[in-house]
Amino acid sequence: MIKKVDLRGLACPEPVLKAKRLLDDQTVERLDALVDDLVCVNNLKRLARSLKATATCQEQNGSFLVVIDRSLSAATGGDVTGDTATSIDNESHTSAFPADKAATGSGTVVFLSKDTFGQGDPQFSRTLLDLFLQSMLEAGHAPTAILIANTGVKLLAPESPSRHVLKEFQERGCPVLACGLCVEFYGLKEHIHDSQIINMFAIVEYLQEASKVLTP
Amino acid sequence: MSDSSHSGYVKLTDSTKAGGCAAKISSAELEEILRALPTLHSPRLLYGMDNFEDAAVYRITDDVAIIQTIDFFPPVVDDPYLFGRIAAVNALSDVYAMGGKPIIALNVLCFPTCDYPTEVVREILRGGADAVVEAGASMAGGHSIQASVPIYGLSVTGIVHPDRVLTNSGACEGDAIVISKPIGTGIALLGLKGQQLTASSQKQLLDNLTTLNNRSLEAALNYTVHAATDVTGFGLIGHLHEMAHASRLTATLWADCVPLLGQTAELAELGLVPAGAYANRHAYAEHIHYIDKNAEDDPLCDLLFDPQTAGGLLFALEPAAAQALVRQLKDIGLNAALIGQFKSGKAGLVEIALQCREVA
Repeated sequence: MIKKVDLRGLACPEPVLKAKRLLDDQTVERLDALVDDLVCVNNLKRLARSLKATATCQEQNGSFLVVIDRSLSAATGGDVTGDTATSIDNESHTSAFPADKAATGSGTVVFLSKDTFGQGDPQFSRTLLDLFLQSMLEAGHAPTAILIANTGVKLLAPESPSRHVLKEFQERGCPVLACGLCVEFYGLKEHIHDSQIINMFAIVEYLQEASKVLTP
Repeated sequence: MSDSSHSGYVKLTDSTKAGGCAAKISSAELEEILRALPTLHSPRLLYGMDNFEDAAVYRITDDVAIIQTIDFFPPVVDDPYLFGRIAAVNALSDVYAMGGKPIIALNVLCFPTCDYPTEVVREILRGGADAVVEAGASMAGGHSIQASVPIYGLSVTGIVHPDRVLTNSGACEGDAIVISKPIGTGIALLGLKGQQLTASSQKQLLDNLTTLNNRSLEAALNYTVHAATDVTGFGLIGHLHEMAHASRLTATLWADCVPLLGQTAELAELGLVPAGAYANRHAYAEHIHYIDKNAEDDPLCDLLFDPQTAGGLLFALEPAAAQALVRQLKDIGLNAALIGQFKSGKAGLVEIALQCREVA
């Protein structure tokens, strides 16, 4: 997932700390950050190096666009923080940058904050949710992400019938992301891959930026 | 620090972009400006603006010279008492760096009185006064004006025997370099502002910032010190360069030996590096030689350039004396270390080796 953020106007060390919080979400592969000055640029390059990601920078109307990319890190290696400004794919950045917004890809986000579809008989409600997810998959809908919190994380338990459905969403390019606190609370940590764990900060960003949130 | 101390008004550190010695004007800029100024050189003025000494020294009699210095900056912490105390410790340090004893201090205060309650001013001045009392000097007045940004510091007068002034310029070939305090205040203060410091790192930082250099000077005067300065806004590298330049020698600095404040290495690695550190790196680039490959990119180097507030003293003395001094400084609870050595070579060059070594 690519995230964009405008860090201009923030006093040091806020820009680098905010970038770090966004990159704590392992599903963010690339962060495009707009900053005021070279001090921020250099600090973000250090952050990238500490995360073993690449960082490139280019000037943009008096500001600087820093692209931190961790998908390239393993392949390139070596000097990832060279001071030479590298040209990057500019297509998506020439348009006006959303002011102080992290554009987490709009689209539909499915938010499963419990392991049931509505409220009623627990077993029946649970079956309905399995059916909902199965139907969504079969209909070919591809949400931006499926976020799972609270008892919803039980859907990812080994014995859960929905587990393979969610896995299929994932394989189709729709990230299935579970709240770390919840996974820990319900003792499911060992069954869920680290790359699927996100924090509340990321959940807020996803919900905030979605054009539509489905909460069955 | 308690958050309650600044409820109801803007945090002190929010009013300023660069706090402490990070607020210093770059040495290159200064040098150019100062060179053009008219000066009247009295033979009694033993040390003035040459060699970037820490303070001016003026001989009154054959036995007494006065040391005169002034230092002030915008808030580095939100707690007004601590800000006052840190600013005063920093200002008093210049007298110790010249080998003297402070006798009189005057307050320098610029303050937006409309933005803060009187209590804040009182606390800043109380912090300053406590440091002056601890130094054994008399607070004898001062001057205050209205300003948009708070600024506090001291003008300090000290005394020293004219023959026993410590300067930048006396280091000898083979001298070992001793630092009396850990470095990293610029980076740690950013960490404090960004709420990244653990309670113990925070305590270590504030203790460090409020520790006078009087005891390190006293300890050092038991030995034959060839050169001394204090580490402030130009960072360890900048002040070491000035000493090497004034002494016409090359300094070798062993980066791994330099004591660091808690968490500063990891914070530097994460990119919490103040603007002043980049400015120092740029300003001294031509005087630096990195012995190890890729050392330039080592996060440790950011610390070597980090502008220090109320930093420690830097001494040059014979290796055996240096080792004894470090032991003595450690005995009185200071995190001192032997961090390098002077050798003959290009004047003012600072060689950086990452690994610690033994003095030759």
